[in-house]
Amino acid sequence: MQAVPTLEALMLGKLDWSAIPFDQPIPLIAGGVVLVAILAVLIWVVVKGHLPYLWHEWITSVDHKRIGVMYILLASVMLLRGGSDAIMMRIQQAIAYQSQGYLPPEHYNQIFSAHGTIMIFFVAMPFVIGLMNLVVPLQLGVRDVAFPTLNSVGFWLTATGALLVNLSLVIGEFARTGWLAFPPLSELSYSPGVGVDYYAWSLQISGVGTLVAGINLVTTVLKLRTKGMNYLRMPMFCWTTLASNLLIVAAFPILTATLAMLLLDRYLGFHFFTNEAGGNVMMFMNLIWAWGHPEVYILVLPAFGIFSEVVSTFSGKALFGYRSMVLATMAICVISFMVWLHHFFTMGAGPDVNAIFGIASMIIAVPTGVKIYNWLFTMYGGRIRFATPMLWAVGFMVTFIIGGLTGVLVAVPPADFMLHNSMFLVAHFHNVIIGGVLFGAFAGFEYWFPKAFGFRLDERWGKLAFWFTFTGFWITFVPLYAAGMLGMTRRLQHYNVAEWRPWMIVAAIGMAVLSIGVICQIMQLVVSIRNREALRDRTGDPWDGRSLEWATSSPPPVFNFAFHPDVRGEDAYWDMKIAAQQQSLEHDVPEYQDIEMPRNSPTGFVCAFFATIMGFALIWHIWWMVILGGIGAFATFVVFAWRDHDEYVIPAAEVAAIDRVNLEERRSLVSMAGAI
Amino acid sequence: MSDQTHMPAGHDLAPGDEEQHSVGERVLGYVVGLGLALILTATSFFIAGTDLVWQPSIPVALIVLAIAQMGVHLVFFLHITTGPDNTNNVLALAFGLLVVFLVVGGTVWIMSHLNQNMPPMDDFIRMHS
Repeated sequence: MQAVPTLEALMLGKLDWSAIPFDQPIPLIAGGVVLVAILAVLIWVVVKGHLPYLWHEWITSVDHKRIGVMYILLASVMLLRGGSDAIMMRIQQAIAYQSQGYLPPEHYNQIFSAHGTIMIFFVAMPFVIGLMNLVVPLQLGVRDVAFPTLNSVGFWLTATGALLVNLSLVIGEFARTGWLAFPPLSELSYSPGVGVDYYAWSLQISGVGTLVAGINLVTTVLKLRTKGMNYLRMPMFCWTTLASNLLIVAAFPILTATLAMLLLDRYLGFHFFTNEAGGNVMMFMNLIWAWGHPEVYILVLPAFGIFSEVVSTFSGKALFGYRSMVLATMAICVISFMVWLHHFFTMGAGPDVNAIFGIASMIIAVPTGVKIYNWLFTMYGGRIRFATPMLWAVGFMVTFIIGGLTGVLVAVPPADFMLHNSMFLVAHFHNVIIGGVLFGAFAGFEYWFPKAFGFRLDERWGKLAFWFTFTGFWITFVPLYAAGMLGMTRRLQHYNVAEWRPWMIVAAIGMAVLSIGVICQIMQLVVSIRNREALRDRTGDPWDGRSLEWATSSPPPVFNFAFHPDVRGEDAYWDMKIAAQQQSLEHDVPEYQDIEMPRNSPTGFVCAFFATIMGFALIWHIWWMVILGGIGAFATFVVFAWRDHDEYVIPAAEVAAIDRVNLEERRSLVSMAGAI
Repeated sequence: MSDQTHMPAGHDLAPGDEEQHSVGERVLGYVVGLGLALILTATSFFIAGTDLVWQPSIPVALIVLAIAQMGVHLVFFLHITTGPDNTNNVLALAFGLLVVFLVVGGTVWIMSHLNQNMPPMDDFIRMHS
């Protein structure tokens, strides 16, 4: 006979006081400190009366620039969280030789799982999506993305996912299964706790947000371009954005479907990936990597775009081999869907399959090589300025080539049989993800910060940050290559092999240097905000840029451009500057017109609020709350769909007043350059 | 593509939209589509149960009818045509088909190969007993 559920079980599901880890001081203290910090910030905001400003200007904003900035802020905060996990792991492996270290196994397992999940989904993804959001409409010369409110929904759903992952620190636990939650370990019989549910639901919710952002950016690039901006005049970053978001649209549904099957196994007793009843564990590996490999290129393609912009701007030359770059980007976009088996060469497939996927994996290095040579030839003969973004770009080229080469090495199936799941692999993918994506994100951050906020970042601290991060990176990860060659496998909580010990100690020292880099980055932000008047960018073109985002003021007005720019070639803004210098300057007053812009909407925030409730309730089996959250989210959508006024008008006089200030600054700059 | 200008507002068409047609024309299009879809559906059900055709050809016939059904939906309901503003839609469809082909085809191939490097299960059990 089935037991009648108690009232407590009905109201609270699996949730009770045992969910709070009173016996584990580290997560409890960390969680407590974060909670106090958040509360302090909230109280400060309310007391100082900033709440209306935050609500009207940021939380409900549908402006692509604001949403981009919020994405990057989310990524930066989560980078600190994921970074602390990394520091804890490095310290653990440095001291856990023939001892248990300071982290018990179940806690260590949560840390490496959370580190991977956070760094990929809540650092790398929001950082690149944020940069694309901020820059792409400006580069295309348009006023917003294709679906502004949807954009806000996408951001807030991503934030919901991040919130749920961090909630697991204090209420319950996180997955102990690694960042991809492989079954059968992630099935109910081996992971009965809520950790995997936290993992899966936060990725399901933020995955919806990512898919929405992808659809939005694809549509923006394909459908919204200014006059004359045909495909082969788009800046390289727009091309890589297109490729990356096409991959998002194609790949993220695979992740959603795979995790949905895992959740069906866990919640409703299905047998997709169980050991018994005809389930097949290998199907999960196959499906998750069919998403997972394109994901790598979703992250790195926008970084390639950023480097293309940075290298060309700071070399003072047009990008070398623009068309080959476009071709290479689209080739990577397609081939990235043909290599996923190289993540599980060792799992039983025959030589035919392994050979074909191995060769495909090596082939993808060819278009990447084309890109590297194009950047080198762009620099060749150029007048290179080593500003901070350029330092990141050069550091990237050196680092990424080595990471790419070790990648080609593990693409050889026999070599992979030796190196699979070793520290060598860990070193390889950090080599490409840090060296490629993170360096790219930092380059983009330094490069476009003046555009977003109207003042440049302090160069001295920026350069210090680069050098500490760069050297710290190498000191941390070269030892991991060495340890991998000595046979050390990944995810070890402790070990008894004496030869590995020195390498782990060196890696921990490297981590300390890397942390100094992060501190320098924070210092750079603090110092720059304090000196913002001295660092002010009045012209909107602090780097002598080449593409259209530099053709408007910094920060750009809400409508981006008073007039849609008329594009006549590649490097649109560069051509305009040359033309302005050659012709005598016309001081006629342009005819300004009214501009219609989308109104702010709390839809995204409210939707995400209900999604958070629903996600939390699903994790803890609180079914009434699931229904409540679902109804709330649907009602929000209905209210939004039936709204009457979705746009407001900025009168021509106001547009003129805003635009004239910047026009004067820009004209004085051009006439100065003309005089020289 | 080269001298096609893209205005950010005004003339651009949302995916699936078409140039202005009269209401009559559009209704006719949907009715023809509905008719074709119904015929294809009815034929599928008829073929599945009949013994009038050579039996082994039935699965092939069903696949052909299913693909035709997809075609009807794409043309009449989703308005994938060869019109000038439809390049994006056609390319998106092609990309989608390519990805589906790669992932589904690849999965079938990989999963059928997975046990190649494993000893046969019978030997394995005999070895350990």
